[in-house]
Amino acid sequence: MSKKPVKGEYIETDTGNKVSRRSQIIGTTNIILGGKTVIQAEVIIRGDLLRTYPPSNPSEKQGNPVAVAIGRYCFFSRGCELRPPGKLYRGTFSHYPLKIADHVFVGPGSIVEAALIGSHVHIGSNAVVGKFVIIKDFVRILDGAVVPPNMVIPSFSIVAGRPARVVGEIAEGEIEGFDLREVYRSVGNA
Amino acid sequence: MASSKRVSIMPAPKPPFSCAPNIVIADNASLTGTHPISVGPQSVIHPRTKLNSTYAPITIGSSCIISERSMIGLQSAPSDYQTKGVVIGNGVVVEVGAVVEAMEIGEGCVIEVNARIGKGAVIGKHCKIGAMCEVAEGDVIGDFTVVYANGMRRVDRGGVEDLKLRMVGRQVEVLRKLIPSNPAKFQ
Repeated sequence: MSKKPVKGEYIETDTGNKVSRRSQIIGTTNIILGGKTVIQAEVIIRGDLLRTYPPSNPSEKQGNPVAVAIGRYCFFSRGCELRPPGKLYRGTFSHYPLKIADHVFVGPGSIVEAALIGSHVHIGSNAVVGKFVIIKDFVRILDGAVVPPNMVIPSFSIVAGRPARVVGEIAEGEIEGFDLREVYRSVGNA
Repeated sequence: MASSKRVSIMPAPKPPFSCAPNIVIADNASLTGTHPISVGPQSVIHPRTKLNSTYAPITIGSSCIISERSMIGLQSAPSDYQTKGVVIGNGVVVEVGAVVEAMEIGEGCVIEVNARIGKGAVIGKHCKIGAMCEVAEGDVIGDFTVVYANGMRRVDRGGVEDLKLRMVGRQVEVLRKLIPSNPAKFQ
């Protein structure tokens, strides 16, 4: 009946994103994928939670509203969730965009409500990243960590615990382990 | 009769659902079970929330926010004393992935990400159950308690409860604009 004989699990877009058919993406028009990003099954991305607070600078050009912006070579494992954070500011409640740079790995079952995630960040499984957390480049968040809201994690930190705190530093030699190009290639319909 | 391989599978019966007209309930929230579910005015139910009334009824107050993937309602047969089912007070926020089987949750509580509240537990007013914390079955938690880290507890009488409730109200107003609501589907 269908034109294609076999349907693989992943839909591959023009820019090389591999998105599982069983992912649960809400508000697709407000999500930017930079390309070569993998989204596995049962991942929830809440693109519908848009910023409703008017921008501070009215001359700013009004393009498409963005709730979640994701860079290149990111990997979102099964059952994780990306959710733009919300807060009360000057008496009005609004959500704010969640920005993710390149080579970011989010482990299975993790829930991310950060404001900003830098490049080469590894978030383990079943971690919780609180509202408006800012994670700089080359950070490793270990499994089951609960990063408290508004925490700013400096570059080259290893973070763990409930509540999470910096428990170590990433040595210079370990930087290569963060590159997700190989992981991207290994995922596919075949 | 025996020839028909395809036995028509009846869609799961809808639980009796009563709500105020001005709630927001997303299209792909899931309501299952046979006992009544009632939701008070101004409440928001996010997509992919699971309300399960198989074992006991669910009552949700006004201005509550129930986030996605959270599971409300008993997941197994109740003990004898929990006949009223799960009762959630006014202005309660249940965050992503939380499991709520409690007998009662007081006004203005916040149940954070992936927290679990066991059967028969009673949570007082304005409590906060931190991310990934667990409240044991039948536990009683007094008003203004904060449960955090590995089950540590403290009492926080910040005196800003009214402000917090107002904030939840504001949040509901915003979500009303963002989430398309379809209460008719569940009735």
